[in-house]
This record gives sequence, C-alpha cells and structure tokens, in this order.
Amino acid sequence: MSPAQRRQNLYGYLFLTPWLIGFFGLFIGPGLYSFYLSFTKYDVISAPIFVATRNYVDMFTKDDLFWSSLARTGYYAIVSVPLSVFGSMFLAILLNSKLRGITIFRTLFFMPSLVPLVASVILFKILLNSDFGLVNAGLRGLGIQDPPGWFADSRWSIPSLILVRLWGSLGGTQMIIFLAGLQGIPTELYDAASIDGAGAWQRTRHVTIPLLTPTIFFNTVLGVIGALQTFAAAFIATEGGPNFSTWFFALHIWKQAFDYFNMGYAAALAWFFALVIVALTLVQMRLSRRMVFYMGE
Amino acid sequence: MAMMPPSTPGTPTVAVAPQAIIIEPGSTSSIRQRRTGGKILSYALLTFAGLFFAIPLLWTISSSLQTWQELRSYVPHFLPEMPQWNNYIQVFTLVPFARWMLNSLTIVLINIPGTILTATLTAYAFARFNFVGKNVWFVLLLSTMMIPAIVTFIPQYLLFFNLKFIDTYIPLTIGSWLGGSAFMVFLLRQFIMTIPRELDEAAIVDGANPLRILFSVIMPLMKPALITVAILQFLADWNDFFGPFIYINTMLKYTAAVGLRTFQTMALEITDPRDHLLMAGAAIMTIPVLILFAVAQRYFVSGVVMSGLKL
Repeated sequence: MSPAQRRQNLYGYLFLTPWLIGFFGLFIGPGLYSFYLSFTKYDVISAPIFVATRNYVDMFTKDDLFWSSLARTGYYAIVSVPLSVFGSMFLAILLNSKLRGITIFRTLFFMPSLVPLVASVILFKILLNSDFGLVNAGLRGLGIQDPPGWFADSRWSIPSLILVRLWGSLGGTQMIIFLAGLQGIPTELYDAASIDGAGAWQRTRHVTIPLLTPTIFFNTVLGVIGALQTFAAAFIATEGGPNFSTWFFALHIWKQAFDYFNMGYAAALAWFFALVIVALTLVQMRLSRRMVFYMGE
Repeated sequence: MAMMPPSTPGTPTVAVAPQAIIIEPGSTSSIRQRRTGGKILSYALLTFAGLFFAIPLLWTISSSLQTWQELRSYVPHFLPEMPQWNNYIQVFTLVPFARWMLNSLTIVLINIPGTILTATLTAYAFARFNFVGKNVWFVLLLSTMMIPAIVTFIPQYLLFFNLKFIDTYIPLTIGSWLGGSAFMVFLLRQFIMTIPRELDEAAIVDGANPLRILFSVIMPLMKPALITVAILQFLADWNDFFGPFIYINTMLKYTAAVGLRTFQTMALEITDPRDHLLMAGAAIMTIPVLILFAVAQRYFVSGVVMSGLKL
C-alpha cells in the first residue's frame, strides 16, 4: 500500500468514526439483537426463552389482527399515496404559472406542512367532530342531513387520517420538489409542442408529465415507505380505534412491544414488516425502468 | 426549419409551407379569450386549494380564542364573540407548557451542533477520501433509510432500558452526535461534491491537515447546506412524538409534542371540555416553527430542493 493510500484510509476511517459507532451501536447491533429476539419469547422481566420459529408461524396462523392490520395499512397506502403525489404535482403545475400573487399562494400551500403532527391531528379531531365540528356544520349547511362521524366512525376513520395527511403534506416538501422539477423543463420543448398545435392540456400531458416522471417516481417511493409505516397520527387521534379501524401494522407492532411487552413477537412482526417494505421498494425500482423517462438518455 | 415563421411561446402556429398559413379572422382574439379563460380557471383552482389549506389554519386561531361553550355550539361561530386571550394564559397555568417547550428546545439545541459536526465529518469522508470499502459503507448508509424505524426502535429501547437511560434525554440526543440521520449525511455529501477539489488541494499545499481543511476551508462554504440541516433537525426534534413518548416518564420532562397529546386526556382540576385550550396549545406549538420559516425561508426551500432532486 502506498503511503498516499494509507493516508486516505487513515483519514477516511478517522472521519467516519462517529458514524461507524452509531451505525453499529444504534443500527446493526440492535437490528441483529431484534433478529435474535424474534426467535424468542421475551417479556423484559425474565430472560428471553428460545421458541424457534413459533413467532413467525403464530403471526400467520393465530393473530387475528395480523392480516386485518396489514390490509388496513395497504388500504391507507393505496388511497393516500396517489392522492398525495398527484395532488402535489397538480398544485405545483398550478403554481408554476406566472400569475400575479402566486407567491402568496405558494406560502399558503406550504404553511400547513409546518404545523407539527400532534397539533394538526388535534386540530382535525376538533374540525371533524361529528356534532360540533366545523366540517359537519358545513355539510349540514349544504343539505347533508346525516354527515359522517369521521374519527368516531369506523368506516370514516381512515379517510379522516388521509385528510389530515393531505392537508399537512400536499403543499409541503413534495410540492416543492415538483416545482423544482418543473423549473428544470426547457421552455423550447413547450414552444415546439405549441408549434405542433398542442394546447395547454396536451402540453401538460405530453411534455410536462413525461419529464416529471423521475420526480413522480422519487415521491412515490418515499410516499409508499412513509405511508406503510404510518401510525403516529392514528395513535394520537384514535389509538387504533374505533373498533380497530385505524389499527395499522406499525401500530400493531408498537402495541405488542410497549403495551403487552411481547418483545419477541413484536420483533418478529417488525422483521416481517421490514422485508415487505424492502421488497416493495425493490419492485418499484424495477418497474421504474420501464416507466421513468430521464432526459439526456 | 428556416422557412418556419418565428413563433412566440404559447401561440399555436400551423407548421406547414409558408404559403399555406391561413390566419382565420378573429383567431387572435379567440386565443386571447382562451388565455383569459385559462387565467380565470387557474385563479379559481388556486383559490379553491387555498381555502382547503387556509380554513383549518384560520380555525386554529379563531377556535383558540373562543369559550368552550361557543366551540361546542351546534351552529359554529366563525369568530369568537369576545376573544378569550385568557385561553393562552390558561395553557401555561393548567399544565407546564412553557417547561415542555423549553424541554423541546433543549433537545433541539443539543442535537443541532451534534448533527452539524458529525454528519459533516461523515459526509466529508464519503465526498473526499478514497479509503478501502468506501462504496460498501456508502450503500449501507443509504440502505438504512429503507428500514422502518420500528425495527430498530424496539431493540434500541431495550438497550437504553438496560443502560438505565430511560427518563433522560440521552436516547433522544445520542444519535445526532453519532452521524445524525443518513439523509442528512447524504445531503451534505452531495453539497460537498459541488465544491471544487482545488480548494482542498491548495490548502494541502499550504500544509493544512484534513481536519483543518474541513473546518476552515470547506465548512464556511457549506453554510446553506448546514443551515438546511439545522432546520431539518429542528423540525425532526420539535415534531418527534414517539421518541419522547416512550423514553420520558416524568411529566415535567415531557416535550411540547408529548405534552400537548397528554393534555387531551390528563386529569386536571377543571372538568370542562378543553378543546379551546388544546387549540391554543396547538397554536403555541406551531409559532416557533413559523418564526423559523419566516427567518430562514430562503434556505428552507433551497434545502428541500437540494435534498429532493439529487437523490
């Protein structure tokens, strides 16, 4: 090894030391420990008892909430991710015009994303109160006699959570990323499309959207990872209720670990969950090869 | 192409041989009409979206100034009969809300220098040194972003439990002193890579060691990226719910996020509905974020763009 290379190694690892300690101490170490725990029965008080694959078998066969919480998580992701990604894209396209007063709208759209989650969940619980809430008062004003019970109704509790999420995120980071993507599209392309007789809709359909596919892809991948892991809002608003209707998979893991102290079982659920998320992310990356258009290729 | 008439952007032009261009009478005015129509449509959509975002924000303020009787009336009052400023005082007297905010701020102030220092060191290593195994470590760093937090949350809790760190801020602050989040390291690395290497090399010629180069040459140039990281860290800590919720047991050590959530249900000497007070608490908790946004708006947006586009 040349002295120059030795120097590179020395300084490289020296600079990396804090991160390496964190990576092994807070990530790899605990990760491996939880993998071990997933093959045990452990209630924190007495020592872990090795049970081989029983946790993994039990989750598929004996846990009533396993499949239903997985299905609810899927429902939440399938509805909220497209609404959120395309909603943000739509807002960004609207904001990308050179209309007067556009910065006021941009700031307004962005502001809800600054409201802390706990605050926005409490706000929406009050807004969506079935008797005294502003939303139902408005709906009654529009002639709807029997408006939904929102968080109090098991059919409407997930839509309520999606509403909180959309309010707090449509105009946030995602939209800003779309705006930056839009500003990167060369104006010549629009001119060329206009020359070919394309109207506003056709320009959006055939120029804007294809060139935004990398951004759509990026936001979708992150959106899916985020949506599958969601449970903070559900925990704060309803603790999984009413009637388990917001009992998401991540909340199920949480409850098993910190309410029932089934640490071994919770670790098995968490590892299964990690596998699902990694697999879904890889599938999306594979699909993206056919669907994403990169300029300059 | 040379025969094509020059066109102004946005004007539909028929691209055929010059002789064949027929401009129908009245077509320019119809274009203008269509444009005005488009503008009206755009404003209509913007206003519609604006109301969706604005109404809950305005309702936060209005409802936080109402009495609970007003807030609980079947026909809502858009504005309080008489602004109840006392609600805001009650939030601080009924529960130790000021203390909770101070606790949140403490965690933020411990974590920001930690992330700035250790994430920058990590990012600089990945951006500038060619050490053995660099690519493997980098892939490992990025893949940590994919693993759900709940997977490591359980064993981390057990670790801190065994180390007797429960009910201290150590579990909430140690990570930022050990490299911060993978995302921030990545963001800083991307930024360092845009700084010309010649600057490092010139400093080496002057006899500076790498640590010195980082602190006195590179970091001053990283100001926008470092401010972005500080903002992201502030938001992460200020909004974090599960960390303090699980690690902190003593009520006086709560953060604002956990405190506000507890305030929903905790036993107090008053038994009246407390929706109006919760709204005041929500507003109080949001104000520091809005102030931060107003002060650092420029970095805020550029930071978001920077972090999003280059991934």
